[in-house]
Amino acid sequence: MKIFLARPAVRIAIAAAFMVLFVVAPLVSTPFLNYQFSMIAVFAVALLGLNVVMGYAGQVSLGQSAFLGLGAYIAAYGVSHDWPISVVFVLSCVIPAAVGMLVALAAARLRGLALAMVTISLPIIGVPLAKRFPEFTGGSQGTTVSWLNAPGWSGLADDQWRYYVVFVIAAVLFVLGRNLVRGRIGRAFAIVKSNEAVALSMGISPYRYKVLAFTIASLFGGAAGFLYVAIVQYTSPETLSFATSINLVAAMVIGGSASILGTILGAAYYIVVPVLAGQVDSTRTALISGALLLAVLFLLPHGLVSLPRRIVQLVNGIRRRGRSTVIDPPGDNTARGTAVEPESQEQTQ
Amino acid sequence: MAYFIQLVVEGFATGSIYGALALAIVLVKRATGLVNFAQGAMAVLATFVAFGLTQAGVPLILAMAVAFAFAFAFGAGVERFVVRRFEGGDPDTAVVATIGLLVFITGVAALIWGYEPRQFPSLFPLQSIDIFGVFVSVRSLGTIIVLVVVMVLLQTLFRLTKLGLAMRAVADNPQSAALSGLPVSRLLMVGWGLAAILGTVAGVLVAPQLFISPGMLDFALVYALAAAILGGLDSPIGAVVAAWFIGVVENLAAAYIDVIGNDLKIIVPFLAMLIILIVRPEGLFGRKVVVRV
Repeated sequence: MKIFLARPAVRIAIAAAFMVLFVVAPLVSTPFLNYQFSMIAVFAVALLGLNVVMGYAGQVSLGQSAFLGLGAYIAAYGVSHDWPISVVFVLSCVIPAAVGMLVALAAARLRGLALAMVTISLPIIGVPLAKRFPEFTGGSQGTTVSWLNAPGWSGLADDQWRYYVVFVIAAVLFVLGRNLVRGRIGRAFAIVKSNEAVALSMGISPYRYKVLAFTIASLFGGAAGFLYVAIVQYTSPETLSFATSINLVAAMVIGGSASILGTILGAAYYIVVPVLAGQVDSTRTALISGALLLAVLFLLPHGLVSLPRRIVQLVNGIRRRGRSTVIDPPGDNTARGTAVEPESQEQTQ
Repeated sequence: MAYFIQLVVEGFATGSIYGALALAIVLVKRATGLVNFAQGAMAVLATFVAFGLTQAGVPLILAMAVAFAFAFAFGAGVERFVVRRFEGGDPDTAVVATIGLLVFITGVAALIWGYEPRQFPSLFPLQSIDIFGVFVSVRSLGTIIVLVVVMVLLQTLFRLTKLGLAMRAVADNPQSAALSGLPVSRLLMVGWGLAAILGTVAGVLVAPQLFISPGMLDFALVYALAAAILGGLDSPIGAVVAAWFIGVVENLAAAYIDVIGNDLKIIVPFLAMLIILIVRPEGLFGRKVVVRV
């Protein structure tokens, strides 16, 4: 099964099947589902940024929502002033990236929780600032915009058109992100994460790569903010609140740290679980989400992305227990170890 | 001048509430090496127990005693049955588990008592006393005194008792502690239990002011985290001093700097903290950690 999946032709076929699914799905589904799918794409981009800095480079960030919110405000401001959309998009990426870089230049020499504290203060400071300058942000009520309506020639409904726009941008960003973390920079991140002294001795400056990781994370955060305004057509201080940051971190770990597929699963979790919990019993959303989060962590400490591996492990365990009346062969363990190896390596790359 | 002193005292009182929660965070961090985001939610749940008892006609002091006992058992149980599973694993996963706890416990509290804020009886009389021409509320003074007493008790526990010594040993090096015969598992549970009591102290002190609701301490948690990290995360005194600093600076900035006002006052301590951390990454009272390569 695993070898079959590892064949390039099979992988391309699966990817193509998914692409077709993504392209056809909005044409046949409801506006509500299209909205949810688009939101998954939006938050997948934000989580990708978070995963770059936390999962791949190992630097705790509890401030991703600040960049999401900043990008969203810039997008909303630009749109309401009729700036060209391409300019708005570039600004929503570049300004958060610049802010992220400035913060990181000062903070990247901190470690662990001191760094976490600096990142916590971004949303904490951001929310009252956003409320204080209503001429830019709309204050506590937030800003509503109306844009990105489907052009007449396309024959699409607004939700379908927005879905496609968001999906194309998110897909491009994901290809960029994937190449980044699999390439030279990604390897440097991995060394900085595992041991800064080793990184230094190899001529990799931990400081510079940490700043780079934060900059990339805030760039993706800003881009996600742009996409958020494209789908929701509204933003408020709520978007950049500390609670959003916390939930993003939870979603990232739930999906799978340092994994591209895990990022997408995490985003799906982030969007789907509250909706489902609300449908089960709207007064118990928190109870159900919390219990589910704990349950996933208990069963899959490495995130949803480790589900197939975990199933293989459990099946092997049951099989072995069936045979264990004879002798538990030590060779079996090593065989399992090597069988798991390629997948876990692939994730850390 | 009298106004200034009043502001400072009020700042100390607010800081004391952040401080009690910060102490809980420091205690857990020292015992199990992780930051517990659910500390506030656990405290709120225990405070709700006290609330439920007072509703049933139990005197406040007795209700609080029961709430502290509940908090201890609950904290120990959370360590044993939830956190234990994640110890020694990926620290990010452990922290996210506490986020899961935060959401879940908030959900439980909301399920039983609802989201509506409710009035909570105050431990202190609602009046002010005149000290050399300065009017200070009894509640503020009481809050500060409670925190100082708690801190003294905690220091006594850690410095002068065998239990405290054993807990320090476990925090320092669990393996060696286990090898010298200490019941590490039970000591970790005690650590979490004590932390839960500290959190409940904060909950009971702040509930009359904020009114009790499941999200009551969400905001205080951010301040407490800030205080704990600013204080150096290892140092109980550091955490309390940092919490007072945050409370006082925030209050003074809101009153004396016109641009800041009440809505932006939170920015001042956080900016101060950023600067302090960048100059002194180990915090005000933390030890510099030297890592052998």
